[in-house]
Amino acid sequence: MNASMSDNFEKGQTQSNPPEVSKPKKGAKVPRQPMPEQAPEDRRYNFDEVPFGYTPELAILEASRCIECKKPGCVEGCPVHIDIPGFIRLIREGRFIEAAQHIKLQNSLPAVCGRVCPQEEQCESKCILGVKGEPVAIGRLERFAADFERASGEVALPNIPPKTGKRIAVVGSGPAGLTVAGDLIRLGHDVTIFEALHEPGGVLMYGIPEFRLPKEIVRAEVEYLKRLGVEFVMNYVVGRNSTVRELVEEEGYHAVFIGTGAGLPSFMGIPGENLVGVYSANEYLTRSNLMKAFLFPKYDTPPIRRDKVAVIGGGNVAMDAARTALRLGGDVTIVYRRAREQMPARAEEIHHAEEEGVKFMLLTNPVRIIGDERHRVVGMECIRMELGEPDSSGRRRPVPVPNSEFIIEVDTVIIAIGNQPNPLIPQTMPELQTTKHGTIVVDPDTMQTSVPYVFAGGDIVSGAATVISAMGQAKIAAQSIHRYVMGLPLK
Amino acid sequence: MHIKIDGIDVEAKQGETILECALRNGISIPHLCTHPALPPFGACRLCIVEVEGMRGYPTSCTTPVEDGMVIRTNTESLRMLRRNILGLMMLEHPSACLVCERRELCDRYRSRAEKVGSTTGCHTCNNKEVCEVRVLSADLGLAEIISSPKYHYRPVERSEPFIDRDLNLCILCGRCVRICKLHQDKPVIDFLHRGSKTHIGQAFGKNLHEAGCTFCGSCIDVCPTGALSDKYAKWHGAPDKETATTCIYCDEACALLIYAVKGKSISAKSLDENVPICALGRFAIPEFLNSPERLRSPLIRINKVLRPVTREESIARCADLLKDYKGKSFALICDITSTVEDRHVLRKFTNDVMKSPYFFELTPDREGYAKFENIPEEVTAVITTGNFIPQTLRNRFKVVVALDIFHTEWTKSADVVYPIAVFAEVGGTIVDKNNQFRRLVKACNAPGESRQEWEIIQDVAKLLSNGNWKEYSSVSEVTKELGIQDSSLTIGRKEAPDPARNLKLRRTWFRGHKIEEYVLGLTAVRKYEEQETLDVSEPSASIEERRISKEKFSVLSKRELVPNVYEFIIYAPAIAEKAKPGQFVIVMVDESSERIPYTLCEWDEKEGTITLVVQEKGLSSRKMIGVRVGEKLAHIVGPLGTPFEMKNYGTVVLIGGCYGIGAIRRLARELRNLGNRVICISEARSHYLTYYENELRQVSDLLIQTTIDASLGEKGHGIDALKRLIKQGEKVDLVVAIGCPFMMMITAEETRELNLKVVCALNPIMLDGTGMCGACRITVGGEMKFACVDGPFFDAHLVDWDEVRDRREAYSDAEIQAVSASKPVSIGLEHNHYNCSCMMY
Repeated sequence: MNASMSDNFEKGQTQSNPPEVSKPKKGAKVPRQPMPEQAPEDRRYNFDEVPFGYTPELAILEASRCIECKKPGCVEGCPVHIDIPGFIRLIREGRFIEAAQHIKLQNSLPAVCGRVCPQEEQCESKCILGVKGEPVAIGRLERFAADFERASGEVALPNIPPKTGKRIAVVGSGPAGLTVAGDLIRLGHDVTIFEALHEPGGVLMYGIPEFRLPKEIVRAEVEYLKRLGVEFVMNYVVGRNSTVRELVEEEGYHAVFIGTGAGLPSFMGIPGENLVGVYSANEYLTRSNLMKAFLFPKYDTPPIRRDKVAVIGGGNVAMDAARTALRLGGDVTIVYRRAREQMPARAEEIHHAEEEGVKFMLLTNPVRIIGDERHRVVGMECIRMELGEPDSSGRRRPVPVPNSEFIIEVDTVIIAIGNQPNPLIPQTMPELQTTKHGTIVVDPDTMQTSVPYVFAGGDIVSGAATVISAMGQAKIAAQSIHRYVMGLPLK
Repeated sequence: MHIKIDGIDVEAKQGETILECALRNGISIPHLCTHPALPPFGACRLCIVEVEGMRGYPTSCTTPVEDGMVIRTNTESLRMLRRNILGLMMLEHPSACLVCERRELCDRYRSRAEKVGSTTGCHTCNNKEVCEVRVLSADLGLAEIISSPKYHYRPVERSEPFIDRDLNLCILCGRCVRICKLHQDKPVIDFLHRGSKTHIGQAFGKNLHEAGCTFCGSCIDVCPTGALSDKYAKWHGAPDKETATTCIYCDEACALLIYAVKGKSISAKSLDENVPICALGRFAIPEFLNSPERLRSPLIRINKVLRPVTREESIARCADLLKDYKGKSFALICDITSTVEDRHVLRKFTNDVMKSPYFFELTPDREGYAKFENIPEEVTAVITTGNFIPQTLRNRFKVVVALDIFHTEWTKSADVVYPIAVFAEVGGTIVDKNNQFRRLVKACNAPGESRQEWEIIQDVAKLLSNGNWKEYSSVSEVTKELGIQDSSLTIGRKEAPDPARNLKLRRTWFRGHKIEEYVLGLTAVRKYEEQETLDVSEPSASIEERRISKEKFSVLSKRELVPNVYEFIIYAPAIAEKAKPGQFVIVMVDESSERIPYTLCEWDEKEGTITLVVQEKGLSSRKMIGVRVGEKLAHIVGPLGTPFEMKNYGTVVLIGGCYGIGAIRRLARELRNLGNRVICISEARSHYLTYYENELRQVSDLLIQTTIDASLGEKGHGIDALKRLIKQGEKVDLVVAIGCPFMMMITAEETRELNLKVVCALNPIMLDGTGMCGACRITVGGEMKFACVDGPFFDAHLVDWDEVRDRREAYSDAEIQAVSASKPVSIGLEHNHYNCSCMMY
């Protein structure tokens, strides 16, 4: 934790009156508190957020479970190293707003991360309570603190040191870009974020559905950065409107951070993928989330309201697409080539999807999509799979069962088998070194690319991964950019 | 009386005309101004015949038969005369498509009409599938347009409720004027002005309401062209089913013909052509029935929330809730807009199954309003079939089962809700104001799980009657049980019903729902009546004020280049600075718009402006052309796409059609600057549809203009000019074709054998335009390509053109739904000549 930054908060503004609740003793035998949520049979018909979040009472109760270990494993498990025991203690003491600000020292998007981080693989997996029982619900507490602060209207701004006069361009306003911008603006630099779409937030805006991450939260986080002084330039495509080189050589930026994400959808290469009714998950989710097609005809973008929907893939994006399709009135089946245990989606997401009524067709792989004379999807031919020897990822490789082809009746197919990095910037900057997968090569300790003034982080570096890992890389990049523009050694 | 027509002896009736006699005997004579609902007129002269012993060519529609007449209807000289007559008529109608050599291919490739503003050809005409002119022209073998056609540049009138009028398509047959005189006490429309300025309209520039229009729609029914159209029905295509049934908006119970496409009603008209119906019957049925607000699924209350369930679950819940309320604690409330059969089953259920005397049939008042307050105190469970009970009484009931068509406060507070079928969605009988039985026939499908009231209640009855319910298997069984035999569809009405003569007598409520909330044109009618101004077309600021603003994305200039095609000059310096030939931008007009790609036609780095050429072709482009000078567009992103590879190719032929004429302009200039020999071919259907002649002449070594009707330049499509060029020995190194998919497709297909490199620019549906969503993917040479980043330029010979077309039409059904509201629209023209005294036409 950076102590100097914590002092930047204006004292006095951060006090809040603790609510009147009984405070259980530290370390008492309190079970992990579930978060109240909408019943599955209700929520599958609306786009409202699924969990309601902790009440202050539940939050204090859950916070009381933390035993404040000497060597907190949770902090180690967190890609951005939030002082987890510290903010949990503040919650236990009812100092919710301070708790939020304490998190914000390391993480500029706590309301987002509290919702979309895979805590079970990160902080919570390292919690000592998890050895014998259930770990502290760190994610839910983080979410609670951030929501409480936002609802209180007392979002305090840290004191920003005098301007350094250094200008940094951030390309892409997704989780990595917002994190870099938040860290650098607090170090006194001028930061401009360039975004190709018409609303900031990147995948938080177009990809993750409203019922998992309300867009109002993303807007609030962006608003917070604007209040800190970050400039947002929308409808600006770096690589078209300017190249990275031009940003530095003509526009006068001292360094550039590339956080353009993995926004190039993969397809399977099977016949029929261009039929009307076949969508990349990106398109399907963008229509619904960013363009608000579910509010058609109030919004002009038409929705994809069909009866029988197949979603191909087993990751979080597949779950998001399936649950969106369900809310648009479809009968939805997830088609996945391996078994349930190998699904890369978070257990909680699979559970939510299943609860709401998404069906699963496992160990099944599409072979071709069938269309009518007007190129509209009418069916999909699949083949059964079985698990063979483990492959390079350690998961058992799915192998087709000979002669097990069958046809399912569908009118919509959503392909959610992953994304590749968007090639636009590497294409317009040949000197930028990339891997054969199209990701940008960086020094993992500094996130510096082969071009000294260019840094990168997030999915454009790691391929399709998570929001928090993007933010972890972004935090490293922010420190390196700070050192770079201030003339300090990077390492 | 006997006469001889084309050598055939036929029996003729005293007083009928030759045309009537011929048609009655199955002999067809071409005719246009004649209509079965109208008296003879003799205006179009297409029905001319030769009669032995008579001089010249009398019109068969006005010549009465005489005994012993010898008539010829189909001699070569008659055919030639008729062809010439039609040809003359076609000089003032967009007629190029009628003489196009690729007409059949075009009909095959794009069978559905495009949703344009001004129609300038058959494939953009909503009347295409039922057009009488197209049939005549094919029958008469019209092969060329005799001289240069005239286009009157009359703005399409879309600022009236229910009716759109495009006088550029009008052939002055006068059918609308005559039917209006016949059906209304005072004529609303008439021929205005004289000579070449003659047109149909209301006197003194009045709007339809001021002129006394009751919106009976008869004028649309008789129009042989697309000049008059029903706003709602217009883009749905030709109906595949017509059904005679009865209107239940009021107890006049007019006989109707309901037209449907794929089970969905799209329009209605009077079954009896001699009697008009009111605006409700004519225009307010399909829009009401197809409202997206309709209930679609049964709902039951679970955890305090109404949620959709299966039919079986909902019936079981309903029976379970009602089982404890037998006797006087139960009541059922319906109104007489339910069929006699429905009410019979509902009554039996109430009396026999629920053992309650409280069955209430409400009679709506003159406005169609039926409210019920005098419910006996002892009633604690009710079933309702509409929004009848004041919400203030809600707390008196422990169980509410609501059958309804739309959600209301009442249904939202109910325990069980069923969507019901109404109107043209049901069969059965109703009683009109003269106590006559009138028949209802199912003409279209109800949405989702909606069913007729009796079907729902019978299912509940079966669960609550311990097996004592005698089941009906169809509505006709109920009809039979009731002993109704003499229900009829028509009653031979001689006079128009009251609301058709005075629209103020119309009903405004149906089952407790305000009709105008679901039929937008009725709101406009009411505003007319209340003398409010319609919010359609007032510019927001004065022109002087608007011209000076130079903010990002503000529109500096806008003009209609040719009908339906607009040029926008927009302030966007960041885009102008970086644009390269062939690139495009994505525009969002406002925050709720779609993201639509438009080619960058021209830009000025110094002025910071970009030029877009926009064709009105649906919802979003309609919104775009409604933007006025000085207003700002919400978002523009660009330049996008891979620029055209600029180098010296040798001789480059650029073919542009529609918006493509604008799109080749900058490309031509820069290619020429690189030393290419640049030949521009601009293709248009007729001389009044070509633009940028001077602009293209300045940037090309040779400009060839082609028109399909040969009214300007060479005859045919751009590809025809290209083929002639090659025949003349021009060595062509590269062809670039930019325009609609049809034009690019024929250019590709017809150059396959010529060993030419042909490049086209694709413009499919896009969202982000940076490769993120993949909506714009197309198959090129068997490989998947993204038009936004890999394109827009592709080898035209490798493109799958059927796929391009079908992917562009992916949302056409949803879009038709969105553009079909009967709400008056304004396209925000800077200067609408139609209502001004400048006499532009």
